[in-house]
Parts: sequence; structure tokens; C-alpha cells
Amino acid sequence: MKKLVLVSTVAAALFMAGCSSKSPEVDMSADANKAGQQGAMSDAERLNSLQAQVQNVYFDFDKFNIRPDMQSRINQNASIFNQAGNFKIMIEGNCDEWGSDEYNYALGVKRAKAGKDALIAQGIAADRIEITSNGESKPVCTDKTKDCDAQNRRDEFRLLP
Amino acid sequence: MKKLFLLLIICLGLSAADATIDVVNKGLVLPKIIVQDATTDFANRAMQDKFFKLVVGDLKVGSAFEVSDRYYTSKFDDSAIISADERADLIYRYALTQLGDRVNLKLKVLNVKTNKEHFSSEYTQSADKFVFLAHKSMVDMARNLNLPPIDWMDKSIIFSQYTAPGKSNIVVADYTLTYQKVVVSGGLNIFPKWANKDQSAFYYTSYIKSVPTLYKFDLKSNNKSKILQSGGMIVASDVSQDGTKLLLTMAPNDQSDIYLYDIISKNLKRITTFSGIDVNGNFVDNDTKVVFVSDRLGYPNIFATSIDGGAVEQMVFHGKNNNSISTFENYVVYSSRESINEYAQKTFNLYLISTKSDYVRQLTAGGVNTYPRFSSDGGSIIFIKSLGVSSAVGIIRVNENRSFQFPLRIGKLQSIDW
Repeated sequence: MKKLVLVSTVAAALFMAGCSSKSPEVDMSADANKAGQQGAMSDAERLNSLQAQVQNVYFDFDKFNIRPDMQSRINQNASIFNQAGNFKIMIEGNCDEWGSDEYNYALGVKRAKAGKDALIAQGIAADRIEITSNGESKPVCTDKTKDCDAQNRRDEFRLLP
Repeated sequence: MKKLFLLLIICLGLSAADATIDVVNKGLVLPKIIVQDATTDFANRAMQDKFFKLVVGDLKVGSAFEVSDRYYTSKFDDSAIISADERADLIYRYALTQLGDRVNLKLKVLNVKTNKEHFSSEYTQSADKFVFLAHKSMVDMARNLNLPPIDWMDKSIIFSQYTAPGKSNIVVADYTLTYQKVVVSGGLNIFPKWANKDQSAFYYTSYIKSVPTLYKFDLKSNNKSKILQSGGMIVASDVSQDGTKLLLTMAPNDQSDIYLYDIISKNLKRITTFSGIDVNGNFVDNDTKVVFVSDRLGYPNIFATSIDGGAVEQMVFHGKNNNSISTFENYVVYSSRESINEYAQKTFNLYLISTKSDYVRQLTAGGVNTYPRFSSDGGSIIFIKSLGVSSAVGIIRVNENRSFQFPLRIGKLQSIDW
């Protein structure tokens, strides 16, 4: 009886939280704790699967407008985010190493904001998107080349559970 | 021919990396000083050797003497007589003694010609901070000998040091980086700014679940307290002279602007409202105006406005990429990126301007020189010198036209305050 109450409580909680678009299906013979863990893993796996398809958007030197050749990446990301309506989105603006100061962090904010506005234009709800700036603190490349600098001038899009 | 010669001289001058622009003090003859070690029975030979180098280095940075690098020894109470082949006007003579975990410095400054003592003093410091014995003695010596003041020398600098992507420590150090102590670590900790003149606390930015958060860290209690949070970014750019007001750069609505925050009343007031980038506000003209960096002309440049906001005045009419400012009274120092585009060799030079006149002075002549910060007396400027994958602290003695560098051995500097 206790097990039945526990399983029912978990099922009700999942339904109320709206963690999945599907109706909760409860296996009455399964262990309640194990069932909960499997559900969480499923969400995590789904998030990871979608996240792997998300692409960075790159910017020109000292600029924060979305380049025409990056618009297809915005469109593709928007399509992925539309499939993941229950996940929030964090956009992190990044800069190359030139200008280790507040201006670089503000430029990162502008780049993240440009990514946010572009996603909103593709139908993503504004309240799902948060932005932040890493300035130059999270380079993906540290070689002293212009190609390396170009890889660091980017927006990264992260799905949040 | 004269014109050709002049052109050659100018070209050579411009190509001299790290040189400051030399406009005065040409031909000035400085008195010569030698340093004598009168230490006996000091167990830590490495510290003893290091101390001699620190004293010589401090005397050079002080820029009041021609300093001999030669290591001399003597007895502390010997006369000021030196060998005939040495030419010197003054002797800095010192003796170190160990007192448990503390070190004692006894020193005197002697006039070689008169054998008279100009100055003497004694200091004690914990062994880990022994470098400050040398720095403190220099400050007092300059004051007693009526030399240009160098009160900044025994102050600490504070900097953020990248250790890995997304990770940085905040470190308190002496100006030579010989003494370094990590005071904040774990995660991304950036833009440290001294909170008061006695350097007992500082502000810095850290991140809580990606949300930029401004903290105040008390060095006496080692406790931190949360001040404010803002989406996008939050940085304590400057602190008012009385320490009660902050100029912040915040982006609460994805839009970076300058804000004035009153520490006591906790009142937050937005000063700039431009739709582009406004950052790096600094108090100037007795805290009545704010000088800041903005891209309102399509590129970063230096502007000023009243502490109450309103009309904005362009301060700099040179260069197409000027940022990273610091102020002292009516003076502003800033970094100007002088590379033509992203493909050109990176060059950032420092410039000094006055808010009261058209005065402009170029302070560096090549390399990557960023993040300038005035000393407490305005007579010196500290800055970050980028050296490939590493970085160094640079110091410019403004009136003496001299510059010095102190390399950081590990990591890269993010920001610095003095």
C-alpha cells in the first residue's frame, strides 16, 4: 500500500510539474525510486541530444551584429529550441583577448543580446532566454592567430534544465 | 641632411619598444647611491639576497638617484668612507635580523662626503611580507630627504589572474609582485577594486549560476558580503574619494550603462541612458563629473557627463578605439588601440589628458599596454603589459619619464587596481 501511495505521489508530481509533454505513464510493478531516476535521465538525455545539435554563432572583429552567414545557424538553433519548449536557454557572449577590460564584457553582453533578439525574431519566447557575458575569460582557442581570435568571438547557446 | 637625420632619430625613437615618451629631465644628473648590507648571522640567505635586490630595485623605481647594482657589505656602525675608485654621494646601509617569524630592518642613509647621517629608521614585519620592509623604508626616506613622494610604494596592488578558461583568482601583491597572496579563488572572480584608501576591503565581481554578482570582501575578517546583482554584467568601476559611492557598470535589461550606487542609503541611480555601450565610469573633478567609455560614435571613445547625468561631452579627439580609463583629480589616462584592423600587429598605447585643457601626452610607444591605473598620489601609473601568453605589471613614473616592468610568472592578468 505504501508503495502504491509513493508511486502515485511521484506520478502526480511529474504531471503537475509538466516536465514532459506526454501524459505520465506509471508502471505499477516498478520500484517508485527507480522509476523517478529513469524519468530524470530521460530528460537529461533529451537535453544532451538537443544541445549537441546547437551551433555557436560567430562575430566580426569589434562587432555585435548577426552576420548574414550566421543567420542559418540562428534559424537552426531556433528550430531546436522550439522542440525543447520546457528548457530555458542561456546565451553567453564571448570576445577575443584584445581589450581586457569592461568594454569587452559589455561587448559580450551586446553579442548575447543580438543572439537573443535573433531567436525572438524566430518565435522563441523572450522569457525563456537569459544572457550573460564571459568577456574574454572563456577562450576556446589560445593561439596568437587571427583564426583563433575569430573562434573566440562567439555566442554559445546552452539549454538549461 | 639635417632633416634626414631628424627623421631617422624620430623613427628610432618610435620603434623603441616599451620606451616612455621622454619630454623632460634630459641631461639631469642624479646623485649616486650605493647599497651596503650590514647584516650578520641571518639564517635565510635567499631572503637576504632578495632583500638587497629589492632595495636596489626600489631605489631605481623611486627615480631620485643613480643606483649602483654592486653588492657592498660593511659593519652597521662603520663610517661612510668608501674606496677611492667608487664614486657615490650617499649610502643606504641596512641590517636584517630574524625575530621568530618576523624580520627586523635597521637602516641609515649616510652622506659620503660629510660622513653625516641623513636618515635612520627601524621596521619589523612578518617574514612572508618582508618585501614591505624595503618599500616602507623607501617611502620614509623620500619623505625625510624631501624627495618626490613615493607613498604608493608600500601600498598593495590587487589583481585578477586567469588560471584556466572561466576561472580566475584575486591576488593581493606588492607592486613588484614579489609578495603575492591569493585572497579569492574558485570560479570566475574579476575586476577587483579597492574599497577605501587604507586598502582594508575591495569590491569584485563573481558569478552565481551565471548571474554577475558584486561582492565586498573584508581583508581583516576574510568575509565577503553581497552588494548587488545584475543580468549581463556588473563591475565596480570606481569608488568616490570618501568611499561612500560607487560607479557601476550594469546591464540589468541587457543594456550596459553607468550607475551611481550609494553604499549607505543603498540608492541606485542610472547616469547614462545611451542604447549602445557605456562602461568604465570614473569620478573626476572632485567627484562632480563622470568620465566613461562609450561607443556612441560607432567606436569606443572617452566621454564625460555630470554625476547627475544629462549632456555628454567628448573628451578625446584622437584615435578610433580608446578605452580602459583611470582618473586622478583632473587627469585621465586611457588605452588606445592603434592597430589598423584585426590583421595588423596589436598595438595599444597609453595617453594622458587633462579635463581642464587640451593637454595630451603619449606615455608608451609600442607593444600592448592596457588597463592603466593611477597611484594614490597621481604621480605614477600602473598598467598591464601583455607579453605573448603571459603578462607583466608596468609602472610609469609620470614626472620622471621612466617605466619599469615586473613579469607575472604564472597566468594572465585580467584587471588590476592600485
